[in-house]
Amino acid sequence: MNALPDRYASDELVLRDPSDGRTLAQRLSKRYAARITCAFVVPGREGSFAPLPDDLPPTLTHALRSRGIDQLYSHQAEAWSATQSGAHVAIVTPTASGKSLCYTLPVITAAMTQHAKALYLFPTKALAQDQVAELLELNQAGALGVKAFTFDGDTPGDARQAIRLHGDIVVSNPDMLHQAILPHHTKWAQFFENLRYVVIDEVHTYRGVFGSHVANVIRRLKRVCAFYGVTPQFILCSATIGNPKEHAEALIEDAVTAITESGAPTGDKHVLLWNPPVVNPDLGLRASARSQTNRIARLAIKSGMKTLVFAQSRTMVEVLTKYLKDVFDSDPRKPARIRAYRGGYLPKERRAAEREMRAGTIDGIVSTSALELGVDIGSLDVVVLNGYPGSVAATWQRFGRAGRRQQSALGVLVASSDPLDQYLVRHPEFFQGAPPEHARIQPDQPLILLDHIRCAAFELPFIGDEMFGTEIAAPWLDVLGEEGVLHREGDRWEWIADSYPAIAVSLRSVADGNFVVVDRTSGRQTIIAEVDYTAAPVTLYEGAIHMIQSVPYQVERLDWEGRKAYVTRTHVDYYTDAIDYTKLKVLDCFDTSNAGCGQAHHGEVHVVRRVPGYKKIRFYSHENIGYGPVNLPDQELHTTAVWWQLAQVVLNAAFENRQQALDGFLGAAYALHIVATVAVMAEARDLQKSVGSGDGAWFVSADVTGRGQIRGTDGQPATLAPDAPFTPTVYLYDAFPGGIGQSEPLFNRREDLVAQSVSLIERCDCRGGCPGCVGPVLAADEDAATTPKALALRVLALLVAL
Amino acid sequence: MSVAVDRLRLLRAQAGQVTIKKIVKPTMPANVRLLLQRHAQIKHGSGVATLSSRDRDMAGDEIAPGLRYTEVFMDWLQPPPWIDTTFARWIDPVHHGRLLHFDTETTGLAGGTGTRAFMIGAADWVDGRFRLRQLTITSMAAEVAMLRVFAGWLNEDTVLVSYNGKSYDAPLLSTRYRLARLQNPLQGLGHLDLLHPVRRRWKGEWNNCKLATAERQLLGVVREDDLPGSEAPAAWLTYLRGGSAANLRRVAQHNAQDLKSLAGILLHLATMSQT
Repeated sequence: MNALPDRYASDELVLRDPSDGRTLAQRLSKRYAARITCAFVVPGREGSFAPLPDDLPPTLTHALRSRGIDQLYSHQAEAWSATQSGAHVAIVTPTASGKSLCYTLPVITAAMTQHAKALYLFPTKALAQDQVAELLELNQAGALGVKAFTFDGDTPGDARQAIRLHGDIVVSNPDMLHQAILPHHTKWAQFFENLRYVVIDEVHTYRGVFGSHVANVIRRLKRVCAFYGVTPQFILCSATIGNPKEHAEALIEDAVTAITESGAPTGDKHVLLWNPPVVNPDLGLRASARSQTNRIARLAIKSGMKTLVFAQSRTMVEVLTKYLKDVFDSDPRKPARIRAYRGGYLPKERRAAEREMRAGTIDGIVSTSALELGVDIGSLDVVVLNGYPGSVAATWQRFGRAGRRQQSALGVLVASSDPLDQYLVRHPEFFQGAPPEHARIQPDQPLILLDHIRCAAFELPFIGDEMFGTEIAAPWLDVLGEEGVLHREGDRWEWIADSYPAIAVSLRSVADGNFVVVDRTSGRQTIIAEVDYTAAPVTLYEGAIHMIQSVPYQVERLDWEGRKAYVTRTHVDYYTDAIDYTKLKVLDCFDTSNAGCGQAHHGEVHVVRRVPGYKKIRFYSHENIGYGPVNLPDQELHTTAVWWQLAQVVLNAAFENRQQALDGFLGAAYALHIVATVAVMAEARDLQKSVGSGDGAWFVSADVTGRGQIRGTDGQPATLAPDAPFTPTVYLYDAFPGGIGQSEPLFNRREDLVAQSVSLIERCDCRGGCPGCVGPVLAADEDAATTPKALALRVLALLVAL
Repeated sequence: MSVAVDRLRLLRAQAGQVTIKKIVKPTMPANVRLLLQRHAQIKHGSGVATLSSRDRDMAGDEIAPGLRYTEVFMDWLQPPPWIDTTFARWIDPVHHGRLLHFDTETTGLAGGTGTRAFMIGAADWVDGRFRLRQLTITSMAAEVAMLRVFAGWLNEDTVLVSYNGKSYDAPLLSTRYRLARLQNPLQGLGHLDLLHPVRRRWKGEWNNCKLATAERQLLGVVREDDLPGSEAPAAWLTYLRGGSAANLRRVAQHNAQDLKSLAGILLHLATMSQT
């Protein structure tokens, strides 16, 4: 099997002439039939076009033509007439279908003919900069005289005044609107008085806690607009999600006209689901996804196809980049053909990668989800996903990166050993048939709502029975009055505190404080990267190999308080992988009730994420060549949770052994989490689940086989003494600092949740368990005498109210 | 599906149209209120106590509901008719009759739309005498009246004199005029902000260039029983909530001294640039 080094094995498949996705898909299917569990084609479609509208200003028409735009796609024309009729519009079309022209046309027209202003909101600075670059090009092409600026944290102070006064189009992000623009709206008075359009792109990213915050920022925006006597029209854009119109309407709390049919032509898209081959039949071990991804990407690039690889973690981006660079960039005198792209690079470096991709000088790019959004990198031929991104919607957004007008494209999903990935490649119908997920928000979540009423009261006093969103504000203002930040006089509530409330409210609810990576190689002191706070513990521990464009640096010292990691250039043949885990401890139980033979509780919990050490993994062979300890503060989260427990005697009677009970609890937790997420309209990442001992002595995580593995407080696998107390507990907790109050409504609906979980599992068509009920299971478990599904049902049955 | 969309649909069905009407929710559920209060306590400590004090006297006349006005004439410095303003890099001298020294006392330093002035002091020379006027609001509602009165003190010839007023007092007032939907009377006026020439001349020589330092160094002013500026917001808030006026009276004294020092520093700078 290993006669030929992997690196050369597949060169016979290289297409001699630059070719299309179909040919490559065929060759791969033929050669690797056993690895491909499913191949299907999403048929392309002819473009549907419309002439440039007659009512465009002639200079704009001229500018478009000089940029090679002689006609519109049908959805662009639809968007034009919808905006001209005054409707709020939501445009939901795939990546690279010319979405931005849908809002550029009405915005520029209004700016040229009525001096109307527009506010653009993008979720990231990079997208904002792209957009401004595009606007400037069009503006130059036609000498349109429309001024567009980005306004973000990097905008220098002296430029801000000019932007406020002279910007026709201000391109910013929700965080800046929340913290810098709305609380200073009087400085923007001229801008607001003439504000005609608010463009919100990538609205599918505004979901969960983040989306709920953004919906409230939009409420505040509308409130400030009302003060200046304007009602701007909203134009929203979204990637494919299950409920685009609904989601857009929930965000702006108004009716929108949805445009969902793309008129952009696309070639056929060939999709392959790829399972790495079994390398050890005895243990059922498969080759790594990484090796397969590398092989497919290499073949595609050698065949002259522009290729994008998505990896799940920053480390994996660097590893895969290194492998591809080893093949394609071995000659340092030639310009690089392979690039990495991820968060944490300096903006300059990311811009350079984008530019080179667009210019076509780069043949392969390896990225995290950072490229899932609409960053413009031109057309690609092949997209390879190293592992399932976790949702159907994200998978299609990533595949959407590949596709040119006339040519067929290829998308390959390479399954990792993760049980969910394995389930998917074994059950392709799940993926093929599944509708994309729905985006959900809950703007009236009490604590989020209160935070934004607080910010709104700072911006403008509340008067009388004013509404905020769908709530009458008065009771909330009373709460703020008691807190001492508002003063009530007659029917007015005025801000009185010496504080700036928006600073204390983070829309993304992540702890702030990015880490900078300082290169100290041979006496230098250069900042070479930034790492966000949550990623720092798993990437910047002392001893970590931190790779940047696949150049390895070793972290020598981490200054946690100062948010700095000092690194030096190194030459090692391994990379490092952090071991991390989460445990949970109950601090205060607010309420308890019987739940069948067990009990349900809700209260305050302490969640700890710890990185106890890391593994050193050799490149190519991927053998584990050692461990290192990590000494970092725990990442702590105080929050609220609801949890269920069963007494030891009950479990002893119901299960043959403790392993079965643990597997049952893991499955039950999975089902409860699905049901609860829907029940409180949370994003899965905002509500988390955990299974552990009731006293916090141990917790359970699924091992590579999907089986429950007990781990001690140090995170190491442990076994319980036969006489040790055994009270497994399933927790659902708010993954939101301080909690966002999801646990109480969940506790109130506890009986309903258990009953719904039972029916979810019972109604599921699978045999032994699947991602739709108790979580993905291994093939071996599907036919086991007691399936994970049966075990989970057994646990839940014991919790059903009598 | 989000609650908002549910409501939206319901409404549209009810109204048979697409406009959104507001829904009135009478009260907040008790448990939500409890939750919010708990969180507020954890985050901000205990709430506000209701105050009631017998010492509620403020100087001056109530010229509008909640707006008190004081006016004092005093002999304070004899300005030359024409003030040399080359220290501020202005070429032409300014007649002293055009000068209006001003200083605000505010509810804080946070900035943005949530900070307001509760006291505006202004001083000028009228027929050779130093006139010091102060407006203080004792209710929120009186702010508009205060802004109007102050606007009446300014005309297009007025030259403002302040200490850091270009960056602080003037933008703050401009925000307040905007929020009150009034024309901003400061817009376009000449403005001598003395902080900048003081900084240019004495930065590095003194520990800092605060007004208190400048008045001590240049005018030999030593304040007694001065209420630090940082305590001004609390003084006004205490009074607003029914508490004692004692500290608010001290704020007025502090403000008056600021204005006197401002005039003193101006004349000092003007004299210096002549020599």
